[in-house]
Amino acid sequence: MPDYDVVVIGAGNGGLTSALTLAKAGRKVLLLERHNVPGGCATSFVRGRFEFEVALHQLSGMGSPENPGPLRAILGEMGVLDKLEFVEMENLYRVVVPGQFDITLKCERNLITRELQDRFPKEKEGIVKFFDLVYDCSMQMIQGLFFHDPEISKEKYPLYFKYALKNTQDILDGFFDDPLLKAVLSIYWSYLGVPPSSLPFGEFAIMLFAYIEFKPYHLKGGSQALSNALLDEYLRGGGEVRFNCAAKRIIVADSRVKGVITEDGDTISTDYVVSNASTLLTYIELIGREHIPAGQMEQFKSSTIGPAAFTVYAGLDCEPGEVGIQETTNFISTTTDMDGAFGKWKTLEQQGVSLLTCYDVSDPDFSPPGTCQAAIVALQYAEPWYSVPPQQYYDTKYRYADGLLNLAERVFPGFRGHIEEVEASTPLTHLRYLGHPGGAIYGFDQYAKDSTLFLSPRSAIKGLYFAGAWVGSGGFQPTLTSGRTSGRAILKSMRKQQ
Amino acid sequence: MGFQDVMKDIEGYQDIQRDIEILKKYGIDYSSQRGSVEHSINLFHPKKIRLGVSEIQQETGTTRTLRLVPKDGYLPPFQAGQYINVFVDVAGIRTSRPYSISSSPGQTAYYDITVRRVSDGFVSEYLLDEIRVGDELESSGPAGTFNYNPLFHGDDLVFLAGGSGITPFMSMIREVTDRNLNRRIHLIYGCDSPDDVIFAEELARRAENHPNFSWDLVISTPPQGYQGLTGFITAGLMKQVLGDLAGRMFYLCGPEAMYAFCDKELSGLGIPKRKIRIEMYGSPRDVTRQPGWPSGVKAEAVFNVAVKGKKIIEARACEPLMISLERAGLAIPALCRSGECSLCRTRLLTGKVYQPAGVKLRKSDRRFGYIHACMAYPLEDLEIMI
Repeated sequence: MPDYDVVVIGAGNGGLTSALTLAKAGRKVLLLERHNVPGGCATSFVRGRFEFEVALHQLSGMGSPENPGPLRAILGEMGVLDKLEFVEMENLYRVVVPGQFDITLKCERNLITRELQDRFPKEKEGIVKFFDLVYDCSMQMIQGLFFHDPEISKEKYPLYFKYALKNTQDILDGFFDDPLLKAVLSIYWSYLGVPPSSLPFGEFAIMLFAYIEFKPYHLKGGSQALSNALLDEYLRGGGEVRFNCAAKRIIVADSRVKGVITEDGDTISTDYVVSNASTLLTYIELIGREHIPAGQMEQFKSSTIGPAAFTVYAGLDCEPGEVGIQETTNFISTTTDMDGAFGKWKTLEQQGVSLLTCYDVSDPDFSPPGTCQAAIVALQYAEPWYSVPPQQYYDTKYRYADGLLNLAERVFPGFRGHIEEVEASTPLTHLRYLGHPGGAIYGFDQYAKDSTLFLSPRSAIKGLYFAGAWVGSGGFQPTLTSGRTSGRAILKSMRKQQ
Repeated sequence: MGFQDVMKDIEGYQDIQRDIEILKKYGIDYSSQRGSVEHSINLFHPKKIRLGVSEIQQETGTTRTLRLVPKDGYLPPFQAGQYINVFVDVAGIRTSRPYSISSSPGQTAYYDITVRRVSDGFVSEYLLDEIRVGDELESSGPAGTFNYNPLFHGDDLVFLAGGSGITPFMSMIREVTDRNLNRRIHLIYGCDSPDDVIFAEELARRAENHPNFSWDLVISTPPQGYQGLTGFITAGLMKQVLGDLAGRMFYLCGPEAMYAFCDKELSGLGIPKRKIRIEMYGSPRDVTRQPGWPSGVKAEAVFNVAVKGKKIIEARACEPLMISLERAGLAIPALCRSGECSLCRTRLLTGKVYQPAGVKLRKSDRRFGYIHACMAYPLEDLEIMI
């Protein structure tokens, strides 16, 4: 008998739902986490009287209890819904081009259409047609793909088959002339890490559709509350966890998982491993060259390491309204050239598109009374940070953060004068805490070629499974979902063995 | 036709598949990147640093500076005001204590730590009495948040130091004066007696040579005939030596008693919270005198703590759980030892602990029963998971 039925490496979103799915099914599971707290990106840290949310901006796929979305169903199945309090956001987002343009989109298709038509009267017709396509294409994707229609075909779901892999920019260009309108409509591209010119329309459409229909959410206590709730349920179900304990090696023999060696030198036998670490490091660090399946490194060759983020976490000693923050989600864009903005992700230049999230607008209890917090995020690759000499790292980090704070100050005058605490994180900070190459928060770059349409998340090593952004899309809903998927796949495999 | 085959009917599918085939030939070979993530982390935050003691400098009758050089040739950068946690084995017990780095971050060859003898100071006595030049120590990487932050601290700084609380300030003063940075610093340094003043000569020299640095010494128990400021760092004294207080950032580092006192004085002067930075000071000398300590629990009470899957250990009410664990040979990860950094986050399964005000627990950690073992005191028998 192996020591454990399954060892899960990493307690990020995917690792947690995977471990929990398996423990709930009565399997003996060990969860290893190198850090001292569960969650991976889904975590928080404390400075002064503020607890800063690290990663969650708008939780997708929740839906209301009356109109539940897929994520609500999964969290219900995980048994954590009643341990958490979800907060629906009133509006979808605000887009500001400082000194030029300012628009806030409601969370309802008709209201969005009307608002955009008022602001862009010349594009009236295109706006209606664009949303028709977004909705129709998404519906076909849901019916054909998500509900696994066994008779899926291009005749039955023509819009999906026609548009799914088209790039979003081409679609926008087909409907609209105004670059500002295109920027406003496609601003969620930064949640996916790929600019509209490379972003498969199918993915963009379903994201926009889901945010509008299921509404963006936040949760009380932030994403750490979710991570803690998942872990709590896992422990209640008999699962075991070791914090501050990284996996050092996955033992493989005859292309089959045999066990795991921890950094403390403990050897644990098991037939199944779920790696919530990056696929790349799982193979090159944990499995070792001699056991990497043929063709695996070739498959990696077609992928590139995705972006990390630069974030400034600011705690203010005033209510959000005092500095003019009226919305939770504020995209600040100094350009309508999204390819140009994306290009800057590989530099230390000031970014073209940033996001300022103030949770206290939706949840006044989020920060202590009379205060609020804002996270200002600009996605960025790790590359420029690798060439900063360590001795200049802190100066460089502060200089970059200063630029983002100045941007916030332009949109919210008085912001800087109210700062009581501020912390900044760079791509190297993400690299440190996640242990991912490049500090990548969404795994590999998510071009069309990197989707599961083309790449299988399955490993050629028997018993090895993956969970998290490196085998699918990034973000909360996809990674939480991926863990359940790998957990179920293992249960299925175990049933077959018996 | 299988699902994957149907998907090939999506417009553009074949083009992308062709791209993938080409990239497989010419893309990135990641196998050469083995170890690169760990390398990037270790440049800034190695788990452990091996240090050699290269010099020992007697500062005062009770204080010495240990100069620590890297055994492996490299020291990570730090921000002036940060600390390292120094690990030691004393009397068979593996423990650690955080010490602020007193040298300038511009000095990349060594970290200085300045250690003052503390009565009953388990580790300070060891470092002062046992450690010799040539000995080896182990520490964490630099950590902590008590550092100058240019994003909102401004350029007019007031340092309030008490006793050995001068050490992080020394690093900041050295950095600002050595690099001629555009910041003004005024230090108010409180000591018991003139004999206790650490770095007196260097502070005087730097003040003389650098117009942007000045300081005042305040002696609380002055000898007969002492000329100079005496007493505590009161609001009145601050007003007297500082003049206009508007826009200045106040930093506070010193013994436990100084915090409550100076904090009150500063709010009395109308200094907003955002203009006050406070360094943590470790666990309180006498936890039973902290507000909220239950009167029924005596300091010398001993409880059983069942460590899940390990063993049952004894823990004294007046000692942080972390120390009881270390005594029992169950050292858990430690860094700030002041309740702040959360590295020692531990799950409390049953029983009650006391955690002083200021322990920086996440909201949901509190809800799901986690404690910071370095600042958690048992109030009854406990069961914990480490």
